[in-house]
Amino acid sequence: MSLLALSNISVRYGRLTAVRGVTFTLAEGEILFITGPNGAGKSSLLRAIAGVTPPAGGRIDFADHDITGRAPEDIARLGLSMVPEGRDVFGSLTIEENLMVGTGMHSGTRGWRARAASELEAVYATFPILKERRHSQAGLLSGGQQQMLVIGRALMTTPRLVAIDEPSLGLAPNITDQVYERLIALRAERKLTLLIVEQSSTRAMMVGGRMMLMRGGEIVLDGDARALGQSEAMQAAYFGYGEH
Amino acid sequence: MARYSILRRTIATPLILSALLLAFALIAWFVGSRPFNQTVIDIFLQVVFVVGLYTFIGNSGVISFGHIAFACLGGYVAAWTTIKPMMKGTAMPGLPDWLMQMEIPFWAAALAGGTFAAFWALVFGAVLMRLSGIAASIATFAMLAMVNAIYSNWSSVTAATSSVVGIPIVRSIWPYMIAAILAVFVAWAFSISRHGLALRAARDEPTAAAASGINIPRVRLIAFVISGAIMGAGGALYAHSIGLVTPDTFYLGLTFTTLSMLVVGGMGSLSGAVLGVLILSSLIQVLRWLEAGVQVGASTFALPGGVQEIALGVVMILILMFRPSGIMGNSELTGLRARTEKPVEPGTD
Repeated sequence: MSLLALSNISVRYGRLTAVRGVTFTLAEGEILFITGPNGAGKSSLLRAIAGVTPPAGGRIDFADHDITGRAPEDIARLGLSMVPEGRDVFGSLTIEENLMVGTGMHSGTRGWRARAASELEAVYATFPILKERRHSQAGLLSGGQQQMLVIGRALMTTPRLVAIDEPSLGLAPNITDQVYERLIALRAERKLTLLIVEQSSTRAMMVGGRMMLMRGGEIVLDGDARALGQSEAMQAAYFGYGEH
Repeated sequence: MARYSILRRTIATPLILSALLLAFALIAWFVGSRPFNQTVIDIFLQVVFVVGLYTFIGNSGVISFGHIAFACLGGYVAAWTTIKPMMKGTAMPGLPDWLMQMEIPFWAAALAGGTFAAFWALVFGAVLMRLSGIAASIATFAMLAMVNAIYSNWSSVTAATSSVVGIPIVRSIWPYMIAAILAVFVAWAFSISRHGLALRAARDEPTAAAASGINIPRVRLIAFVISGAIMGAGGALYAHSIGLVTPDTFYLGLTFTTLSMLVVGGMGSLSGAVLGVLILSSLIQVLRWLEAGVQVGASTFALPGGVQEIALGVVMILILMFRPSGIMGNSELTGLRARTEKPVEPGTD
């Protein structure tokens, strides 16, 4: 049974088509990297899944719900948490407030305060630096800390699937290593399903899992990350060799 | 637990602001002069209005030009419910009988004004809160114009553009001080509440906020209704402070004074809202005295008339030049040293 299923999804901005006819399914607990060059439509696809940019056509199912065209806040409530590109922390709020924002949507359900408190402790345990600075303004954090904060914020909603757009963007390699280390650990702990967009396939090859390559709004390759990464087909597809 | 800690960490702000307001009241009480009393009452009313504006604008980041409409709604509720039935009969013959006979105390009129304004904030807001940015601001201005047009023309109920007189005047400063302090506490409680937090998150990053499960129009609407209630109650008290209302009492003049006080104080800060009023009002008062003439030794020193407006404009420009986000910016008075944490250098990652 798949957790997420896309069929024939397309995304358009005016007359520009960013994503054309993407179809795939993602099983619970899987880790999927979507890679591809600039402008391949990776982020647009992610935004369509999270409901931020409603798809122009196709259908998306998540956890047995048809979420096509639903509002992002509704989709988040179903357990699909997106971390948008660019580490957009709520800059004027403190770290702790940033983390608590996401728990608001469970308010009113039984025991949500206790659950929010334990989620908070869990995020602090994963990212101790956040606990250390929990009363500072999030806008004052360094890039790596902000990345940890937005991932932590996504985890606070107790999601089943976390979709992250370019977690390594603008981070030094050793910080990226740390972020990924935590993500992989979380996936094992919570049976989290991960969908990660990265421009380069290097990270996917290191981590392993499934990898898809997008180009020109379409999925051109889909397979095991390590196997694909070493194949010539990957190189050819990424750079578009042999099409001229 | 986290809730409790946010309460404890921020409670200092409303307490300090209340102490400041109390200090102003005490000064007026000791001075004991009638005009000065009236000035301090005006200051308290401005605090109510500007704090009401802050509750929506500060937390949502959407500038509203229309909130004075809610003060208008509240002001007329005070007129409808507190003027003697006989006087109402001549000025506003179209009032329904139950309203015509009603004569309630001023504080009840303030509550009624707040409730009435909150109701209309809910109605208007349900439509307006789907807009954002400049479109939302223009729409709120349209709302102000609509309310003004209705109240200026519905002569049987509002006496059209003529003044509605006979509202019992409350000259004691204490009710106004209490109202200002209550407004501060309501605004504070909202901004640390779950909805306030969600709204501030949406102000910083709307996309990420929606992806965190926040229904942005809904949290905006909640803030709009609460701030509408504050404005409505303030409008009713305003009516009781001068004893009369006209639609133009609550129109462009008051809109721009209150907005500029908020901008000068710092839109994103409750402390800024209160300080903006206290500082600008004090400045206006000092300039008025100087215009009227001050005895220095044997000679009288007086500024030429009109200097007040010019000086006020210059001060506002200077403040905004050197502190574009207002005196307080986004920070609050906490009693501790101001938070001066330095950002970590980007290079250290």
